[in-house]
Amino acid sequence: MEVQTTTSDNVTIVEISGSLDANTAPQAENEILPFIVPKCLLVLDMSKCQYVSSAGLRLLLTIVKRLKTTEGKWGMAGLSEEIMDVMEMTGFSRFFKIYDTVSTAIKAIQEEA
Amino acid sequence: MLRIDANPTHEYSGFNLRAGKPLPFGATLLADGGVNFSIYSRFATACELVLFEKHEAEPFATIPFPDEFRIGNVFTLVVFNLDFENIEYGYRMDGPYNPAEGHWFDRTKILMDPYAKVIGGRDIWGKPPDWDNIYPHRSRIFFDDFDWEDDHPLEIPLEDIIIYEMHVRGFTQHPSSGVKYPGTFMGIREKIPYLKELGVNCIELLPIHEFDEFENSRISPITGERLVNYWGYSNVGFFAPKAGFAASGKFGMQTDEVKALIKDLHKNGIEVLLDVVFNHSAEGNENGPYISYRGIDNKTYYMLTPEGYYYNFSGCGNTLNCNNPIVRNMILDCLRSWAADYHVDGFRFDLASILGRDQNGAPMNSPPLLETLAFDPILGKCKLIAEAWDAGGLYQVGVFPSWGRWAEWNGKYRDDMRRFLKGDYGMVDAMVQRLQGSPDLYQWRGTNASVNFTTAHDGFTLMDMVSYNEKHNESNGEGNNDGGDDNESWNCGWEGTTDDVEINRLRRKQVKNAAAMLLVSHGMPMILSGDEMGKTQLGNNNAYCQDNEISWIDWTLPNTNAEIFNFYKKMIAFHNSHTVLRGNKHFQNKDYVGSGYPDISWHGPKAWYMDNSNGEPVIAFLLCGLHARGGTSKDDYIYVAMNMHWESHPFELPKPPEGLSWHVFANTDKLPPEDIWEVGQEVMLEDQSEFVVGPRSVVILVGKVNSL
Repeated sequence: MEVQTTTSDNVTIVEISGSLDANTAPQAENEILPFIVPKCLLVLDMSKCQYVSSAGLRLLLTIVKRLKTTEGKWGMAGLSEEIMDVMEMTGFSRFFKIYDTVSTAIKAIQEEA
Repeated sequence: MLRIDANPTHEYSGFNLRAGKPLPFGATLLADGGVNFSIYSRFATACELVLFEKHEAEPFATIPFPDEFRIGNVFTLVVFNLDFENIEYGYRMDGPYNPAEGHWFDRTKILMDPYAKVIGGRDIWGKPPDWDNIYPHRSRIFFDDFDWEDDHPLEIPLEDIIIYEMHVRGFTQHPSSGVKYPGTFMGIREKIPYLKELGVNCIELLPIHEFDEFENSRISPITGERLVNYWGYSNVGFFAPKAGFAASGKFGMQTDEVKALIKDLHKNGIEVLLDVVFNHSAEGNENGPYISYRGIDNKTYYMLTPEGYYYNFSGCGNTLNCNNPIVRNMILDCLRSWAADYHVDGFRFDLASILGRDQNGAPMNSPPLLETLAFDPILGKCKLIAEAWDAGGLYQVGVFPSWGRWAEWNGKYRDDMRRFLKGDYGMVDAMVQRLQGSPDLYQWRGTNASVNFTTAHDGFTLMDMVSYNEKHNESNGEGNNDGGDDNESWNCGWEGTTDDVEINRLRRKQVKNAAAMLLVSHGMPMILSGDEMGKTQLGNNNAYCQDNEISWIDWTLPNTNAEIFNFYKKMIAFHNSHTVLRGNKHFQNKDYVGSGYPDISWHGPKAWYMDNSNGEPVIAFLLCGLHARGGTSKDDYIYVAMNMHWESHPFELPKPPEGLSWHVFANTDKLPPEDIWEVGQEVMLEDQSEFVVGPRSVVILVGKVNSL
């Protein structure tokens, strides 16, 4: 699992690649949390994330809940169909703002901001 | 804040350990990253924790519990740095092997944790197992932190619920279901709009605890199909949901999927009851496998004869020792977990009379387990429903120890309704009781003690009840010897399916008659899933092993049998619209609000006179709307005439109060669309003095302000 961040038009894009599970979630958490600051604009790019386990879903939900407390704008993009389905089955999807692509997510966030 | 006990104290083969906490039992994830393992055994002399990588054939580690980590009869330890998502664990127990004394210890067996909240091994329904697996049903570790937001069990009053009894897999497995993940909890979520359209507000799920569909699996000699344990009345573990019922089971996320379903159902005003099977386990009798309890503490978990054999009050080989204090606590812990962690609204207890037997099998007067459940604070608002009998001959309908909390599946309601429906003579007195919520059985407990049903998973579907005189269970491969013979069914003139127009019409009418009777009876109505669309099981009255179209809901039926589906929807809406049909106290058969009418009055072909001297299956009753809910609610007057005789009978109508006139809501003798009307759109009768009720027909009238 790797976390890479870039910035585009004031939006921080956090790309999570590899597997997000109980082993990698603590590292992902450490690397993503510094970007969750008041009124941040953030896109989680999941297009290179092949697998999200139960613990991975929990990390994503934790991030989303922290984003809410910062009044940040955020979205998630590039999810595989399988990960989307798992999120739906387990009830997590209702907490996430999900977009097809990073660019549509950025556009939506900027409009929202 | 740093905790002293966040650090290991022992080391074994590279694993860091420390003494654990005995409670809670099971495997608990700790904030410091450790996992607390705790398991009870009174008679074990030693215990080992066995760890597997997920799905691996052989364990990667075995950690003996150090003697100093044992507290009382509990083995407990904390293991640090486990990859908890990817391991499976079990136990090996050493101790005496002496079946005559009740001891079955075998230190070669790997045993599932009785408190496992997730169980692996049957992750995908029907996937053939590895029969050589040394540990087929595996305890897993789970993080229990579902975000319920503001969800809360609905606590719908008992008198206001309509129960819909259904099977998770059968509900959407049929190709016609159109759902993305057929046969799963997720599939039910996709069908919530259907449940709302039907109008039910409570689903009762056949067992969803982990069971082994391959238990007693075999090939049907008739169809050549593999027969499985489809119903699941045979628990492997009590705390874990059935992985094979979850679309996410292959990812081990079944607990979240069940919770997401319950949360969604609650949002839509629908409660969830679980059918729980605490009377026996899947370990069978002396010839059964070691899964868990037998190897952990056989003498505690099972009722044993003085010679050490398993009592079989369940009909399934063994009997859980429900009134042993340890087992009692396990059952309580389990139900609390389902109520608190899963927000389940209540439980229906399979063969519940077993829960009232002592450790020698004798029925008790005040069974401690039943009392504990009745008064438990966490279960305080849960619905508790007993199947008030067992396979050992104990039949407690009407006398199940209740403490005012327990309701019962009213088996007498079922039997009497069926006899009346097929036109048996001499049933009127019984019907007077059944329609009133069975005061003869539940005089002091009110109508909420009675779950009224005509059909349930066990037995014929309603359409089969009017299509078969005899069961046809040959495809179960037991020589048609399984399943009940006391069906009280009538085939309407031909055994099984037919093209005969008149017979089919009569069958549809009988189905509608049964629906009407159920939904005008006081007590909690329960509908068997599929009955509302005329589902058949081709005469199979015990389809426990049929994972195929015999059992699955065919979603073309609401169209094919639109007449029946439409009737059910409108009857349910009628039931929901009229508080006078849903009182929680028994009728007094007198006027206590000064309306000039008794709360309920009995009639027949002559108004105000119920003549049952000739035994004909003919009865009518009038409900006074001003007595609704004991006079606290105002409703319409409702008159119901039931003629199950093969000839039509004129019924003299009791005069409604001044200013009101009789309007027809339903008349099963009529063809659609005149068989039933929308609530509020009832049609005023031209003749207000008499109604000719057709043969084998039910008529429901509503006394309303003159609509002409």
